[in-house]
Amino acid sequence: MKLRILMFICSSILLYACVQSPGFKGDGYAFIRSNYPIVKANGEEVEPLYKLDIESGKNTLVIVYNTYRHDYYCRFGWTAEADTVYEVTDQENSYPLTLHRWVRTNSLWASRLDPMEPLECIKKPRRGNTADDSST
Amino acid sequence: MLTSYWPVSDSVRFPTFKNYLLVLAANAVVAVALNADSLPGLSALSDSLVRESAIDFVNTTTSPGLEGATLTVDDGNRQSEQWRSSLGFAAEFTIKNHIYNGYWGLAVVGGSLNDKLELTGESGQPLKLDITRDVMSLRGSFGLSYPMTQHFKLRPYLSLSVSDLQTESLVDGLLTTAPSGNAETTAVFNTSAQMLSTTGSVDALYSRWYGNNRLELSAHYHLIYTDAFSEDNPVLETEAWNDVLQLKSRYSGPTSLTSMGRPWRWQVYANHINFLSQDNLSLGYTGLFEFGVGMEWQMNIKPLDWFGWQMLGLKAGVITSSNVEGYFMGLTAR
Repeated sequence: MKLRILMFICSSILLYACVQSPGFKGDGYAFIRSNYPIVKANGEEVEPLYKLDIESGKNTLVIVYNTYRHDYYCRFGWTAEADTVYEVTDQENSYPLTLHRWVRTNSLWASRLDPMEPLECIKKPRRGNTADDSST
Repeated sequence: MLTSYWPVSDSVRFPTFKNYLLVLAANAVVAVALNADSLPGLSALSDSLVRESAIDFVNTTTSPGLEGATLTVDDGNRQSEQWRSSLGFAAEFTIKNHIYNGYWGLAVVGGSLNDKLELTGESGQPLKLDITRDVMSLRGSFGLSYPMTQHFKLRPYLSLSVSDLQTESLVDGLLTTAPSGNAETTAVFNTSAQMLSTTGSVDALYSRWYGNNRLELSAHYHLIYTDAFSEDNPVLETEAWNDVLQLKSRYSGPTSLTSMGRPWRWQVYANHINFLSQDNLSLGYTGLFEFGVGMEWQMNIKPLDWFGWQMLGLKAGVITSSNVEGYFMGLTAR
């Protein structure tokens, strides 16, 4: 009985865990998801977003990496390909955030390819801190 | 004290078969417990020290942050071989709308110790003690990570681990009388214990890039509460508090090598581990220094699309301390 329950739980986890590619808004669109909030898309300020449909072609996004002393406003500029998933995450590289092309490899894992650094990251103090603005 | 459980003197006085077994068991328990009252002249090896050595062995094998190692201790009266190995993974995950991130880890840890000691018995006779301990442990960790700046973060987390400890103790040199009247000088006793450890940890992590090279410095403090249970050895029905400090440094840089389109990076590292509350008599050491080199492959995958797995590495290092020599060679993942 316990073995059956264990097998059921494991099967459920495996089924749930299957890596699935997110859908696209339509032809000519790409998709980006970020572990940190996107605050500006192609020059327009947006409500903090973690997922965004973007048109293929040249895109510019500003994504904020928050710490307790500073906020780092990182500006990414790249040419997005249609039907492609992009992902921004913290990988402790020289810039706080890194943009990857996300590719489903199989049902068990996805790959993060073509790492791209931001064009710049502007460091701003959090409210109550007095550090000067600067770029990293 | 153990003598209340095992009446050694009565058994010797009436050497029936049952009492002979009791003598063997008693001597074996002495080997496990090294009860100072039973063996005058061995006051340095008290019950508490035996408890500590069992718990310290588990802690020096299963504490968070420890990597694989093979150690040899040689300080004249003591020769021991210890190894530990682990298979596990730890990663941070984003908690949206909060500055702090989550942290989790899972690991299966195994280790073994063969500890040979030469002691002196109550009448001045030499005693040889040969203890073999094996432990298997499952550990889970969960906590938070607070990025203070881009370069520095604090990470408090809690770990729970369950360990199964098997011990075989052999004492050579204790004179007992067998039913046949022959003198016996060797006794063997097997015991087992289960240990439940709760560890509160704080990691302070600093990193900085110099061009394409990266420097990482970190300090890790672990406070461990261990509750031990044993059906066959009352000495190991106990609990203990211990703490461990680890200081780690690593410097890495790029190479021109790639595999499957992914780059390799070289690394050199130097670590120090100090088992702060550990008595040197317990295992023969309280601190270790480790130096090594390695290569890391930036595989950068996302298993189950849940968490990032950035690096798969090969590492080799030497471990040293007073009376201790050792090495590490193996795979690492982060």
